[in-house]
Amino acid sequence: MANELNWKVAGFAGEGIMTTGLLFSKTCARHGMSIFDYTEYPSLIRGGHNTYQVYANTSGAFAQRKMVDVLVALNRNSLSFHKDELSSDSLVIYDQDDDKVDINDYALPCQVFNLPMVKLAIDSGGQRLMANNVILGASVYFFGMSLDILLTVITAVFQDKGESVVKLNAGAALAGYEYAKAHAKPIMQIDKGPFEQYLTATGNEAISLGALAGGLQFYAAYPMTPSSSILHYLSATAKQTNIVVKHAEDEISAINMACGASFAGARAMVGTSGGGFCYMTEGLGLAGIAELPLVVFEGMRPGPALGMPTWTAQGDLGFILNASQDEFPRFVLTPGDAQEAFELTRIALELAEKYQTLVMLVSDKYLSESRLTFKLESTVFKNKRQAFNGNPQPDESGFFPRYLESENGVSPRTIPGTAGGTYIANSYEHDKYGLAAEEGSIRLEQMDKRFRKFDAMRSEVPRQYEEREAGAEVTLVSFGSTKGVIRAARTLLKKDGIPTNTLNLSWIWPFPKDQVKDIIGNGRPIVVEGNKQGQLARLIAQETGMMINDYIRRYDGRPFYAEDIASEVKKLV
Amino acid sequence: MATAGAQSEPQVQDRYGRSAAGLKVPKHPTWCPGCGNYAIWGAIKLGLEGTKYPKEKTVICYDVGCSGNMADFNAYYGFHSLHGRALPAAVGTKLANHELKILVVIGDGGCYGEGGTHFLNLMRGNHDICILVHDNHRYSLTTGQMSPTTDKGIKTKSTPEGSIEEPMNPMAIAISNHATFIAREFAGNIPKLGSRITEGLNHVGFSLIDVLQPCPVFNPAQSYDWYREHMIQLEDEGHDPSDRLKAWKQATRSDKLPIGLFVKEEKPAYHQQVSELATGPLVNKNIASVDLASLVKDFQ
Repeated sequence: MANELNWKVAGFAGEGIMTTGLLFSKTCARHGMSIFDYTEYPSLIRGGHNTYQVYANTSGAFAQRKMVDVLVALNRNSLSFHKDELSSDSLVIYDQDDDKVDINDYALPCQVFNLPMVKLAIDSGGQRLMANNVILGASVYFFGMSLDILLTVITAVFQDKGESVVKLNAGAALAGYEYAKAHAKPIMQIDKGPFEQYLTATGNEAISLGALAGGLQFYAAYPMTPSSSILHYLSATAKQTNIVVKHAEDEISAINMACGASFAGARAMVGTSGGGFCYMTEGLGLAGIAELPLVVFEGMRPGPALGMPTWTAQGDLGFILNASQDEFPRFVLTPGDAQEAFELTRIALELAEKYQTLVMLVSDKYLSESRLTFKLESTVFKNKRQAFNGNPQPDESGFFPRYLESENGVSPRTIPGTAGGTYIANSYEHDKYGLAAEEGSIRLEQMDKRFRKFDAMRSEVPRQYEEREAGAEVTLVSFGSTKGVIRAARTLLKKDGIPTNTLNLSWIWPFPKDQVKDIIGNGRPIVVEGNKQGQLARLIAQETGMMINDYIRRYDGRPFYAEDIASEVKKLV
Repeated sequence: MATAGAQSEPQVQDRYGRSAAGLKVPKHPTWCPGCGNYAIWGAIKLGLEGTKYPKEKTVICYDVGCSGNMADFNAYYGFHSLHGRALPAAVGTKLANHELKILVVIGDGGCYGEGGTHFLNLMRGNHDICILVHDNHRYSLTTGQMSPTTDKGIKTKSTPEGSIEEPMNPMAIAISNHATFIAREFAGNIPKLGSRITEGLNHVGFSLIDVLQPCPVFNPAQSYDWYREHMIQLEDEGHDPSDRLKAWKQATRSDKLPIGLFVKEEKPAYHQQVSELATGPLVNKNIASVDLASLVKDFQ
């Protein structure tokens, strides 16, 4: 029995590739496999080259794998673009009838299977688009997977559209399965895995769910890849969740609306990518100085400026750590997988309220749009409202001293509607009532009060993700989405007799300097990150005084592959 | 009222001798002598009082500028926003708690220039906020550069040879772009402006009140007397505020400056069309226990 598979469908945008991939992924998940789905697409609606890749493993999938077992090629480009991902064990499925290709022209290194997908779709009573189900049926056959499970998935996904739609889709899937069975043998028999009770979601879906679990009430955004799917998900579910989602006229409006909502007492969040985040920066300072709880999601993509909209990068880290006028305390969280994306988003909303400040939640296209397996122990989440004064007493000024000095810097706030709590949430430096002040002594008092929060914030940082292995000389250090691919790379390295340690930072500010010093101080750190200048390496040097000499960096818009990290590490050790 | 230790209250009474509540604040105005803001300040207090709405449920969102500096002089919940951003801050506040009445205090620079895109787009949504634009045709806090409403050819610090742009016509824009309460008033008539502010605050929807405000320091030519010579009252013209076409004709007149209510239309406000808010204000939504069960099944 086989315990892993790597399946890829490629073709023109607009051919239903994303849906086909999702259905295949769900079928693997229902076989109890852990999933990592990775997609590539250009910034176009129709016609560009799209791919959807499902890597599934019965003992845990952490990243996409390079070499594919089955490639479903929906057009000629698909036959030529992915040649270096094929081995002699691979299988290419294509449609000779539909595209009239001469398969020999492509000199593929593996066996091929001519699946008349369009004809089978039409013959089974459906339309051309149903060819996607023919593909699924044939794919399930070739991996020795359960047709019944595929049909269950098709039923679950299409049942809202009515029984006849389910029947057509299921019929096409069956036709694909039977055709493959009549003409070829399976390439492997996939075992069932233990992940049946798990969920699979994109990073952005996990973030959306985490936000809802954390009591999100107000979300404002302006569409920008790769953050838009959060806006879409939260809008689509708003009727169920009863939160308010506002597509604002621009990112500046989005963040200022969120500041307004936060001022009024709602748990508020905005989402964007690097370009939109540039627009938002003035608003970050507003949340900082007015001490308004705010969560800002930033999904990174290659820049500068518009860069490469649908590709991945980790190049905004330095900007995110410092973005705003002057200084104020902030959290910067960089989840590494779907589990952390869910948990950290939930916690982000709590931390923002507790410390009345900005929490940056940072992802990238790779994590945001890949689908991963994660687990919720319960679907019920408790939230405690924090740092409010519900029964305020104004002093002789007529105002409530909302910014009164306090031991940990957090001053209980009031919200409009509460009698006796009148104060000004002010973008100017202000006194304890929020009234504008330029006296040096008041400035120092308020600035120091805000930064007193930072000491308490530091104490919130938990132990970071770390794995050690006996005899390891090197420690692979990373942040955010690189976590999974390093886990996969370490497995490959271990097979080659190279033990490694790893440290992935998902709480990057306040910087866990003692942990980092402790973990990498005695070994040889290799910093793996998705930018040109080594922003994490620079941060480590800044915070710990330790200079980083070895690194692996990628900034071509593509994600790291475990195979590439493993071979780079071999060159370095 | 001068009690021991308390600062004396500034003397802002209207011509009928009515004093306004909410004046007992620790800070006093810093505007120049003769500034239209004093009068508008008084009118705001009359306008807020006129609504008889609970004071703690009234929020003023201030923009940046001479007008926004009155954030320190009003004992109301206030949000002193970034420059140009008072409108989105007000909309966010309103969506979070639609039981609040929201007044926006903003200048011509903040509303029509820096925040122009918010002005254009939020009026389309009929968000229930009342916008009071202190329109003095200058950037005065930054010492007198041209603003979006400065007439063509006017010499200012940033246009020493005279401004090249034509002035924006905020009334005509609002009339064409779905605002549901559009008025222009004069800072020199406190009772009328005060009652217009009450009307604007009571109007359910996007209300715009453009206030012609003399700035004797940086725009001395458009003085109180200059305005009085050029203004006409829409009431005297027999204007019907339900007629947008006639309102537009009045707004685009070049011979006179019409004052009064251009447009008033009853339409559902934004928050009234958000189904999630039908059961009450967002801030009252209980988040103590959130169950994701119905959402999670899509991910199985």
